[in-house]
Amino acid sequence: KCPDPKPKIQTASNFALRSVRRQVGYQSKALDRKFIHSRFCPVQTIRLPNDDGFYTCVRFLPGDQSIVAGADSGDIRIFNIHTGNEEASFSAHDSYVLHTEPSRDGQLLISCSTWGRPLSALWSMNGYEMKHTFGNEEYMEFSKAIQDKLIATKGEAATIYDINTGTAIKSLVPTVGNQYTRNKATFSPYDDLVLCDGVIFDVNSGKQIHKLDKLNQTQSGVFHPNGLEIVSNTEVWDIRTFQLLKTVPILNHSQVIFAPINNTIYAISLEQEEDDDQTFETSFKTVDATDYSSIATFDVKRNVYDLAVNHFDTQIAIVENLGVYHAPQESVVRIYDVGRKRDDEDEQEEEEEDDDEND
Amino acid sequence: MAFHYVVTAHKPTAVTSCVTGNFTSPNDLNLIVAKNSRLEIYLVTPEGLRPIKEVGLYGKVAVMKLYRPQQENKDYLFIVTMRYHAMILECVSDDDNLEIITKAHGNVADRIGKPSDTGIIAVIDPRARVIGLRLYDGLFKIIPLDKENSELKASSIRMDELQVTDVEFLHGCANPTIVLIHQDVNGRHVKTHEISLRDKEFVKIPWRQDNVETEASMIIPVPSPLCGAIIVGQESILYHDGMTSVAVAPPIIKQSTIICYAKVDPSGLRYLLGDMAGHLFMLFLDVETKGDGSDVVKDLKVELLGEISSPECITYLDNGVLYIGSRMGDSQLVKLNTKADDNGSYVTIMESFTNLAPIMDMCVVDLERQGQGQLVTCSGAYKEGSLRIIRNGIGIQEHASIDLPGIKGMWALTVASDGKHDNTLVLAFVGQTRVLSLNGEEVEETEIAGFTSDQQTFYCGNVRYEQIIQVTPVSARLVSAQNKTLVAEWKPPTEKNISVVASNSEQVVVSTGSDLYYIEIHQNELIMKGHTTLNVEIACLDISPLGNNATSSQLVAVGLWTDISACILKLPDLAEVYKENLGGEIIPRSVLMTTFENHTYLLCALGDGSMFYFSLHRESGVLTDKKKVTLGTQPTALRTFKSLSTTNVFACSDRPTVIYSSNHKLVFSNVNMKEVNHMCSLNAEAFPDSLALATDTSVTIGTIDEIQKLHIRTVALQESPRRIAYQEQSQTFGVVSVRMDIQDSTGLNPARPSASTMTQSVTVSSSVGSLSLGKSSVSGISGTNLTPEYGQEVEVHNLLIIDQHTFEVLHAHQLMQQEYAMSLISCQLGDDPNMYYIIGTAIVNPEESEPKQGRLLIFQWADNKLTPISEKEIKGACYSLAEFNGKLLASINSTVRLFEWTAEKELRLECSHFNNIITLYLKTKGDFVLVGDLMRSMTLLQYKTMEGSFEEIARDYNPNWMTGVEILDDDIFLGSENSFNIFVCQKDSAATADEERLQMQEVGQFHVGDMINVFRHGSLVMQNLGETSTPTTGCVLFGTVGGAIGLVTQISSEFFDFLLEVQNRMSSIIKSVGKIEHAHWRSFHTDIKTEPCKGFIDGDLIESFLDLSTDKMKEVVDGLQMIGDGSMRQECTVDDLIKMVEDLTRIH
Repeated sequence: KCPDPKPKIQTASNFALRSVRRQVGYQSKALDRKFIHSRFCPVQTIRLPNDDGFYTCVRFLPGDQSIVAGADSGDIRIFNIHTGNEEASFSAHDSYVLHTEPSRDGQLLISCSTWGRPLSALWSMNGYEMKHTFGNEEYMEFSKAIQDKLIATKGEAATIYDINTGTAIKSLVPTVGNQYTRNKATFSPYDDLVLCDGVIFDVNSGKQIHKLDKLNQTQSGVFHPNGLEIVSNTEVWDIRTFQLLKTVPILNHSQVIFAPINNTIYAISLEQEEDDDQTFETSFKTVDATDYSSIATFDVKRNVYDLAVNHFDTQIAIVENLGVYHAPQESVVRIYDVGRKRDDEDEQEEEEEDDDEND
Repeated sequence: MAFHYVVTAHKPTAVTSCVTGNFTSPNDLNLIVAKNSRLEIYLVTPEGLRPIKEVGLYGKVAVMKLYRPQQENKDYLFIVTMRYHAMILECVSDDDNLEIITKAHGNVADRIGKPSDTGIIAVIDPRARVIGLRLYDGLFKIIPLDKENSELKASSIRMDELQVTDVEFLHGCANPTIVLIHQDVNGRHVKTHEISLRDKEFVKIPWRQDNVETEASMIIPVPSPLCGAIIVGQESILYHDGMTSVAVAPPIIKQSTIICYAKVDPSGLRYLLGDMAGHLFMLFLDVETKGDGSDVVKDLKVELLGEISSPECITYLDNGVLYIGSRMGDSQLVKLNTKADDNGSYVTIMESFTNLAPIMDMCVVDLERQGQGQLVTCSGAYKEGSLRIIRNGIGIQEHASIDLPGIKGMWALTVASDGKHDNTLVLAFVGQTRVLSLNGEEVEETEIAGFTSDQQTFYCGNVRYEQIIQVTPVSARLVSAQNKTLVAEWKPPTEKNISVVASNSEQVVVSTGSDLYYIEIHQNELIMKGHTTLNVEIACLDISPLGNNATSSQLVAVGLWTDISACILKLPDLAEVYKENLGGEIIPRSVLMTTFENHTYLLCALGDGSMFYFSLHRESGVLTDKKKVTLGTQPTALRTFKSLSTTNVFACSDRPTVIYSSNHKLVFSNVNMKEVNHMCSLNAEAFPDSLALATDTSVTIGTIDEIQKLHIRTVALQESPRRIAYQEQSQTFGVVSVRMDIQDSTGLNPARPSASTMTQSVTVSSSVGSLSLGKSSVSGISGTNLTPEYGQEVEVHNLLIIDQHTFEVLHAHQLMQQEYAMSLISCQLGDDPNMYYIIGTAIVNPEESEPKQGRLLIFQWADNKLTPISEKEIKGACYSLAEFNGKLLASINSTVRLFEWTAEKELRLECSHFNNIITLYLKTKGDFVLVGDLMRSMTLLQYKTMEGSFEEIARDYNPNWMTGVEILDDDIFLGSENSFNIFVCQKDSAATADEERLQMQEVGQFHVGDMINVFRHGSLVMQNLGETSTPTTGCVLFGTVGGAIGLVTQISSEFFDFLLEVQNRMSSIIKSVGKIEHAHWRSFHTDIKTEPCKGFIDGDLIESFLDLSTDKMKEVVDGLQMIGDGSMRQECTVDDLIKMVEDLTRIH
């Protein structure tokens, strides 16, 4: 067989080439997105006010001027990202804050912890008063299109709560689930479906629509914001046909965080249990959310506990801890600019050195 | 707050789609061309293309198709826009008026779905049963056409093939059947799907062909009776109909990529193919007849016909004539010949259609120092690359000039000759008349025996029976044109002198004060046929014949002195049939009756440079539709002349203007001369089709450029111009341009002759040594000195020095291999008095994600020599350069860096700013620097002189992917981004909180619908001429990928509110073609958000007010309030608004 012809128009992986092509009318937004998501520059480091304990999770608050971070002590703290100063803090739980999520209007905050009562709670950000408690729920998140509901997970069961009253509206329990070790029930982008323990529910009827094949032990999966796919560990499922679209090995055992814009996935490795101890990876990955091609692996040289993306995908926040799981020696939340190169300022110094040498 | 007016000064010219069919009527053959959001409808006539209608859409055309509905005898137009609006349009003609009717429309977008990489594809079943759309991966949408439905609703069919390259409907199928090329991990395949319209799903796969060429990208469906489809790839062409499959790999198609086709004959045996390099091929299907009488395809043959503009689309019109639509160069009408010419080409270019797209860069210059800017653009790409010089108005090409002060009138005559050419020029002065004879290019003074020379001539001209008439204050003299003797003379019956006169070849009207006499010209006789006395003295007269080939007039137009009015009198009795009071105190100085596009007008120019114009009823003499326009500031004289067989009027004044009609609308186009007092047409042997123009001091003979509002001159470079800079001191332009060289057996050689290879003087940057292969860059540059593969195309960058007058390329300086010139400026640095051209470059290694090295190169052009002055190595690509307080500001990769110019003529880094992803654009004002970033919108920096550093003053935190930035004033900044929007940011210096001060507010946003590549301050019109009702501040021009030129100007808050009200009224009164809401079209729309337009007035909509019918105009102004004199609110009349809108049209 003759060799296949080469495409005459090759992809311009060098940005200088793309900048010219764009002027002629050929857009290459996907490559520009990849370029942006291969470079991160640390801009702010936020340490715990006291040395004792460590951060466990982080989210940007609406407006992207501040972050909310959970700590192992059960405290929740709010920091201004420009100054790095703590703006508020309150004690939410008795233990390790597993997860926290502010509502889009910035009025409410979900927190979930590992043990003690309540396990999960909904807070009013105005005065940090506890609005509702969910004693046994292990994990919670807001509904997506309209944030008027909460979905909570306990084991393989999901419960939908009304956000105002805190009362349970609907309980979704798979008849046969996949028994994932870390099941997290989640709404689809338009709140019409729920995925819980590998089972897709229709929210209106409460009926089970389909059970996805179990191909991993831990994660149930999340909906792609495009509303067409479910990413479950390494598998990408088509929601319309329930066919397996793709296998993405680099997402193995990773928590998948979709950037709110720009069609990009940030993936951080879930902690691995080894000999009763837990280990973290020191890097996170970026993946193109349109074709699941790998963009970059970015090493931060510390254990990545959690990662959050701001509203415009211009900054990310990472909980970076150094040391062993239960007693890290150093714990910070670091803010990174997306797209900026880390060594910008280094280069400057280098250049100054050069200049000195020349002089 | 900031308020802006944005308007298109030059409509987009890049052709994205073209179709042929019977659209305007069953018997008309039409060509329809889509240019961005505009459709141009032409009639195909034996004489060429005749434009008959232009339609603006509220959307950018993604796909346009003509189809013949069942039971119809003409075609409908189907369009899908980039924002997924679909529409079916029908053209209905009622009398002369063509109306586009939206038969059906609808939005076919899905809330969820993955838009396909290969864009929007729309196809129509050959029997018009169904429209198919491929918008999203994995989905095929169908719109059944079986019943009349004004709403277009698409049903989705799930498609297993996710990556679809092309789709078409097959011919000759019982049920609608599509054929598609799709790609999976194994390669590309061809597959068919039969569609059940009832169940709205695919029912079966009639045939398929796996593993076709991996670059197969285009399907051509073959009509009945053959049916099947042709699959065009990079190197091969395949025919398949489910049974037979024939594949060929003609070597001639390999050089480039075939991107468009056109079917030649209805039976589908011949197709035209166009490739990116501009080759035109003919594809023939070789058919053999089988035993059962049916034909089957036996072979495919491809033949090269010749070269055309790089095509985007091709359509076959008729009789071997085709239209080539181009995005990169001029579109063309070409004819195919049966025999090859001397160059072996079968193609003759019949007509070219100017295209500025894509505008890569531009500069505003005032070469003639008239206070009016011209735009020089870097236009087109590859072999279509060119510079375009764009001027507002009409240029006069000067051929001869005679110094003669004090001319009061001027006429061209044919005396004692065969009558084909003018050979004499009669010049009137105070108290005398002089006659010049034109003999070849020689001009000498002569005499005509029958003329009086000691009187000022008021009128002179050739009249019937080979006679000449001369009218002086004393008498009208009739002279034989052959023997120049006086044959008759007429004197006014009273002692009064003749004051005003008008004549045509058969009739004369003269006035003595308020007496008016009508005289007919006969052989050797002047016969007075009428006399009347008016109440008022006559200021001006006209007796121009109206209508084609008319030689005499039924009407006389009169402008009256003290009562400031225009009258129409009927001949021969000079009875008044209509009188129009003009109002005001300014006396009419010139009246003219004229016919434009079969419509008769009366023009009446006043002593202050303004002019009224009316519709004139040819029989009744009634004047209607009064309008006023300001042409200049001095008394204006109106004269007709012919150009390209159309009638035009020349208004002589301090701002000479040519008046003509386009689309049944009068257009007033400035002439690029400072002043003209008198003019006459002159068609002499040595000066054919010329004009004689008299100024205060001289007579100029010249030809007038083609009539149009923006005059465009092309300087073809045949390679891609990227950046341009003007250097006044050396009277040159610096242009960065790129040509393609091909590696062959002898090394790298230019692909074709072009600007950089054809100049006499060439220098080359040494390819070794100048860049130190330092420690950090070894890996980056190691690949660059390798010889390219055989046949590979390599970009070669040059700095061209181009003469500002002749546009001749004086010099070309070639950069190193793999060195790309990214930016160019001309400036002075520090105390150094020299003017330099400075280029910022990048060393581009395709393997890297961004350049790691580059250079700043400083050159001086003096004494026809380009001298390298200095160079500085930099660590990345220099995307932008600016002169900044005598220093050089450069954006290099993610940084902004300021360099000092030392006494040793070297660049020394002073300070840098780092807070960007890629700094693509820089603009400066005083101490401020505006930075445009790849994704992070814009940032304002201030240079702190004391500290020698930059401080970040304010930043827009929205994620805008920038394509250009501009500083409008100290607080207001304009940006354009890559989803075709513009926005305005304001810095809030007064805010108390730091955070608020640091954050720019987006106070304006607007969807332009075209990607902006460049912003430049400047204007295309004379500034500060006369009063305007519409004050605007500043002017920023922009150039787009689609070849449009637009402008943004600031307006006051009150005027904004008023125009917004007008805009809202107009958007509800004007029914948009395709029924897309105006507010939707102009809403700021990106991949992530859609927000209403704010802070901008859509000038294109406002200015379309002038095209409305009187009824609609009235509807718009009904109840509209405006701020009148003394800031009082008052009712706005139609005339008020017309005046305002006309003033607005004059800023571009």
